[in-house]
Amino acid sequence: MRRKQTAIGAALAALAVLCAMFATSASAAPAWKFEGKSLEGSEVVLGGAIDSLLTVPGLTTKCENFLYKLTVKNEAGTGKGEVTEVPLYNCTTNSSACTVQSIKAEALPWASKLTTVSTTPYIIIEGVKVPILYEGEECVLGGILVTVTGSAGGSINNTTETATFNSTTLTATGTSLKALGQKIEWNGLFPTEAFQWHREQALSVS
Amino acid sequence: MAQRTGAKRFLASIAKSASAGVTLALALTALALAGCGGGSSGEEANGASSTSSKDTLASAGTEAGSGAKGPAANNGAGPGADSQGQGGEASGGESSSAAQNAGKHGPHVPVPKGPQEQGATAEQMANATVADMSLKSPAIIASGGQPGSLSPTYTCDGKDSWPALHWSGVPEGTAELALYVMNVQPVEEKLFVDWAVAGIDPSLDHIEAAKLPKGAIVATNGFGKRGYSLCPQGRGEIYMFALYALPSHLGLRPGFDAREARTQILAVSGNVGLLPALYAHG
Repeated sequence: MRRKQTAIGAALAALAVLCAMFATSASAAPAWKFEGKSLEGSEVVLGGAIDSLLTVPGLTTKCENFLYKLTVKNEAGTGKGEVTEVPLYNCTTNSSACTVQSIKAEALPWASKLTTVSTTPYIIIEGVKVPILYEGEECVLGGILVTVTGSAGGSINNTTETATFNSTTLTATGTSLKALGQKIEWNGLFPTEAFQWHREQALSVS
Repeated sequence: MAQRTGAKRFLASIAKSASAGVTLALALTALALAGCGGGSSGEEANGASSTSSKDTLASAGTEAGSGAKGPAANNGAGPGADSQGQGGEASGGESSSAAQNAGKHGPHVPVPKGPQEQGATAEQMANATVADMSLKSPAIIASGGQPGSLSPTYTCDGKDSWPALHWSGVPEGTAELALYVMNVQPVEEKLFVDWAVAGIDPSLDHIEAAKLPKGAIVATNGFGKRGYSLCPQGRGEIYMFALYALPSHLGLRPGFDAREARTQILAVSGNVGLLPALYAHG
């Protein structure tokens, strides 16, 4: 009888441990929150990238001002949104031989959604399309139109109210940006602060 | 102490008791079927119910304070209200923590200098060579966001001959194909061509390693050699393999100047396939 009781006890203990594991690793769908309260209706997040580098192998493109307008909302408790505007300014490359003749975010709006991977909240931007036309007689991509497409997942830091995009966050979210038929790198740090109704309020995701 | 002893008993019983193992298996099955009760399955995970992720993020240090009780606790200045909040003013009914945060939050949109970048004009598009053909090599496999590594076999550390290349997407009406290998970073501020071959039959979809197809015309490369040579001057280089589709024959002769010919090629070619590759000595 006693042996039976211990066996049941062991099972319950294992159950508790597994419950805790499930609770922390499950792919939860987080919501947008202001001052800890779930957003009702929609809000506009407007900002400028603190840093953003797009690297087609060997050639990094940087825009001095990478602005964005993101409309966010919660649907059935899950954070969703749309990137509606991405004006870019003063874009250059890391090669003295290559200049950017034209670059523009296309196929807007880009849909976005929140997700959680191993307790970290992420924002996923889908449907990204950015054609870049490089220029330069001595530039290996001079005269060539390269189009960056795909989706990108960035980790959200509630403390700094920023979203970070890099190869680690893209891998974690199973997303990728592609050009020339292969994955490319995108490193960026984007503030996630409200512009409209909840201006000056702490924006978090959970 | 009594609890610790109890926990030890649980662990010991797991190790000793076969029947406990069976019970455990059953319990785990039940657990999986029941979803543990706390696993958030996407749609359910709102601010009020997703306690697990909420707790984790709370520890990350949000400044939300303690007022959050769920979606119903929204303030009166939400989008459902009238337009008083326009222009970014913090509306009435804000929590005291919001007031304290004033100045700390809010968007910091930098003022851009210069004009906004624009998409390619119709004229630029007409003159551009679009990277829409596929060029691949079994010897160059990309990993993550990095270009694929090239085996020493295909460099001056090995046989210094080209790898097999496969392509697709050659547009109809192409008269000939031209293959190039170039350093991505210029050498002494000049584009450096390691290999150029024109006159490739557009009906082909590949070339074999170290074997040129009939009719191919080989250029003089940046080393002054008529042929292929891929030899990084530093420790490593990123190279770009490029396949240009030409709508008309260029009439190039063996030993043609690869750099000059590329200018001609870009002037007429509307389509290219690109394959970056990385090579580092030893």
